[in-house]
Amino acid sequence: MTDDAAFWHRIQFAFTIVYHYLFPQLTMGLAWFLVAWKWLHLRTGDPRYGDAARLWTRIFGINFAVGVVTGIPMEFQFGTNWSSFSKYAGGVIGQSLAMEGMFSFFFESAFIGAMVWGEKRLGPRNHFLATLGVALGSWLSGYFILVTNAFMQAPSGYAFAADGSLRLASLSDFLLNRWALIEFCHNQCAAIVTGAFAIAALGAFYVLRGDNGSQGRLFLKWGAAVGLVASAIVAFPTGDAQAKMVARLQPQALAAMEGRFQSGPIAEITLIGQPDVQKRQLDNPIRVPGMLSFLAFGTFHSDVPGLGAFPEDTWPTNIELLYYGFHVMAGLGTLFILLMALANLQQIRGRLESSRRLLWILMLAFPFPFIANTAGWVTAELGRQPWLVYGLFRTRDGYSAAVSSGDTLFTLIGFAGLYFVVGLLYVFLVGREVLHGASPGLEHA
Amino acid sequence: MVELWFAILCLMLVMFAVLGGWDFGAGALHFIAARNQDERRMLIAAIGPLWTWNEVWLVAGGGVLFVAFPRVLAISFPAYYLALFLVLWTLILRGIALEVRGLIDSGLWRAFWDTAFAAANILLAILFGAAIGNVVRGMPLQADVPLSLPLFTNFGVRGPLGILDWYTVSVAVFTLVCLCAHGASYLALKAEGEVYRRAKALTKWLWPIAVVLLLVVSAETFYVRPELFTRMADRPLAWIALLLTAGGTAAILTGPRAGAEARTFWGGCVFITGLLGSAAASLFPVILYSTVSGQYSITAYNGSSDASSLRAASYWWPVAFALSFVYFWFVGKHYRGRAQTSQYGHDPQ
Ligand code: HDD
Ligand code: HEM
Ligand code: HEM
Repeated sequence: MTDDAAFWHRIQFAFTIVYHYLFPQLTMGLAWFLVAWKWLHLRTGDPRYGDAARLWTRIFGINFAVGVVTGIPMEFQFGTNWSSFSKYAGGVIGQSLAMEGMFSFFFESAFIGAMVWGEKRLGPRNHFLATLGVALGSWLSGYFILVTNAFMQAPSGYAFAADGSLRLASLSDFLLNRWALIEFCHNQCAAIVTGAFAIAALGAFYVLRGDNGSQGRLFLKWGAAVGLVASAIVAFPTGDAQAKMVARLQPQALAAMEGRFQSGPIAEITLIGQPDVQKRQLDNPIRVPGMLSFLAFGTFHSDVPGLGAFPEDTWPTNIELLYYGFHVMAGLGTLFILLMALANLQQIRGRLESSRRLLWILMLAFPFPFIANTAGWVTAELGRQPWLVYGLFRTRDGYSAAVSSGDTLFTLIGFAGLYFVVGLLYVFLVGREVLHGASPGLEHA
Repeated sequence: MVELWFAILCLMLVMFAVLGGWDFGAGALHFIAARNQDERRMLIAAIGPLWTWNEVWLVAGGGVLFVAFPRVLAISFPAYYLALFLVLWTLILRGIALEVRGLIDSGLWRAFWDTAFAAANILLAILFGAAIGNVVRGMPLQADVPLSLPLFTNFGVRGPLGILDWYTVSVAVFTLVCLCAHGASYLALKAEGEVYRRAKALTKWLWPIAVVLLLVVSAETFYVRPELFTRMADRPLAWIALLLTAGGTAAILTGPRAGAEARTFWGGCVFITGLLGSAAASLFPVILYSTVSGQYSITAYNGSSDASSLRAASYWWPVAFALSFVYFWFVGKHYRGRAQTSQYGHDPQ
């Protein structure tokens, strides 16, 4: 067992944040579907939209609750597990974390109860407003968190205080960090992909099962249409912009993401291959020449530095995982576009509901956006290594020295156990809602 | 600037103690004030749609601590590592219990979550109380030695310290009783039927017990940190807080007998505010008191972040604070008056 305390702090943070983020991505992805359906219901009075919104609101409520309870430990772990980092950067990243609490958590938490339980009490107009409030609040929450993360990726708006720690120099530079803006666009589109796939999957399930037909068709249509647009935007322009930004600001990370050890022009993009860090090479590579130069810098002949061009102590610490994380994300992203394009094609031809094989695929595809999102975050967070605040503060200096690795392992196991139970509960409760469906007999209204 | 942020931090914690406090207190009384399924549904409905809003004061308070006093966070959180995770896990359990108990109409399901809910609330009230006790008592801080406190040692307040000792335990007991009384006042205002009657009866008992315990805890505090009392003499803010406490005490002692539920309820709010306020006013500027030597104490001055960071935060904080009440008002106006069981929980209506 590794005696390295930092290791267990990192694993615990990674585990709890990956788990937490499974829920907010669906929250943020579903939120605007609900707003749209509530709006259409309000305008047209078409009960199909009301039913759709009601079913997904119940799922949303369960999902949101798990998001909230798993989010609270995240906030506190900065203090418990990363206290040296908090001391160093608290005056800066504390701003966005406190703003998240003050601006968006109050906002969301006031409206979520009204949204999930208050349809009758609030009346249609105010219930629509509550839904809108939850959507805005959750996206605002996402923005503040991404500002925090963006500061760690590409610090901006800071200066040094007398004791060497960081202080805020410009609130606007900090909040409008370019990295945060691009990260937000990409990440929020990715959340919509998750939402769209979940909706399309449930639609496919209902159509395949043969009941709840009108709901099933509605979900399929919306899921496929939004899914295609969002998947496309995730790749271009937002994913592309991310890659260019990484190329400029974290060149080591880009090199590791592509398993590129040697520098040179007309850099090739790797489709398949396994990095072998010992031998400094990529095994069985399949590559497209010039593509990486193009993606990173906009021309086919630009020089893209490889890892060899940088001192080894600034290389990301886990090159293999970084490489796989990136390729899983980008690979899945390409497949999402293809799948959703096919679904829309069949939809336009009026054949989607009878293409059983495609429906099966759509139904079983819903976990993959979760995987792509997680892989994307693994890419971002491992690409930042060995820095906790890029270029300023190393990860190994950031953890709490007072906490032994045994204590950390203990709390990690505690989280694993508790989250396992929470996960079972979630699957059971959401499964129940899905099976009940929006069939009129069970409607709550 | 530093004084302002000390006050803001205290305000956030007072808001949590008062607003979250009635939820925790009512939850701790879950089996006492509510005896059957319908009554427990009533109790949950009374805590109802704003419990997350109340709990956000804790999360946002953590954020304020982070941005304004990062050194305080960086020293105290690792020192109380396991205790804090106990708080986090219990908060998770409590939130889950509140949200899922109404989802399935089965006696066993509800009985399980009711038990988890009540137990979590009791444990949390105790843990919050112990936390206050630890702040007042202090911890063995030294220069540059990362601190980690054991759960308990010999239960003494001198020498090798643990999180629990006779002093912090008695603060915890007081907190539990006080929050239960506060929760009962809230239920007496919000609930109907049997829950309302029981809660009303409980306030008659619990508030006087809380006041007696307060006297005991004050005497103990005088033994543990005598200087807190001498310091109060020349701090006008502490007098105001003491006046509030006295006024609150009068209200919570007379209100229940007179059947004046609103007086009891508001009296309880003022009582808790006054208590925490007087503690804060006499502790200032020390946040983490060193039992080893005063020079190692972390104060609002040496524990705060840089002035420029504080200044930036003072631009946006008031805006967010005001806005939070706008949302509260928008939602709260639909839930005015006594709770109805149909308004919370997934039960078919
Ligand atoms: C459904 C999920 C999903 C999909 C299909 C994609 N991404 Fe992504 N990607 C994310 C979800 C995501 C994410 C989870 O949202 C990340 C993590 C950090 C961030 O801002 O977004 C991310 C990060 C991320 C980064 C790393 C930024 C860093 O190192 O900080 C790059 C370079 C890309 N993306 C590029 C792409 C490209 C070129 C894609 C082509 C198809 C792509 N992503 C598809
Ligand atoms: C859903 C989003 C996120 C995921 C999936 C994620 C994932 C990870 C992973 C896998 C690690 C471990 C990396 C390693 O081995 O060092 C990590 C570390 C960390 N992440 Fe993130 N992260 C996410 C968002 C964030 C955000 C928004 C922040 C900041 C607010 C953040 C702060 C940290 C910190 C402090 C560490 C520990 C230090 C380190 O090892 O670099 N993460 N995260
Ligand atoms: C990409 C990263 C993240 C995103 C986009 C995100 C977004 C969200 C959203 C939308 C919510 C509310 C709805 C829900 O959970 O379903 C939420 C809850 C929460 N998140 Fe995250 N989060 C991320 C990572 C983090 C991190 C790193 C922290 C720790 C600082 C954190 C702390 C919290 C807390 C405390 C809550 C509970 C909110 C409440 O009490 O109402 N989150 N998050």
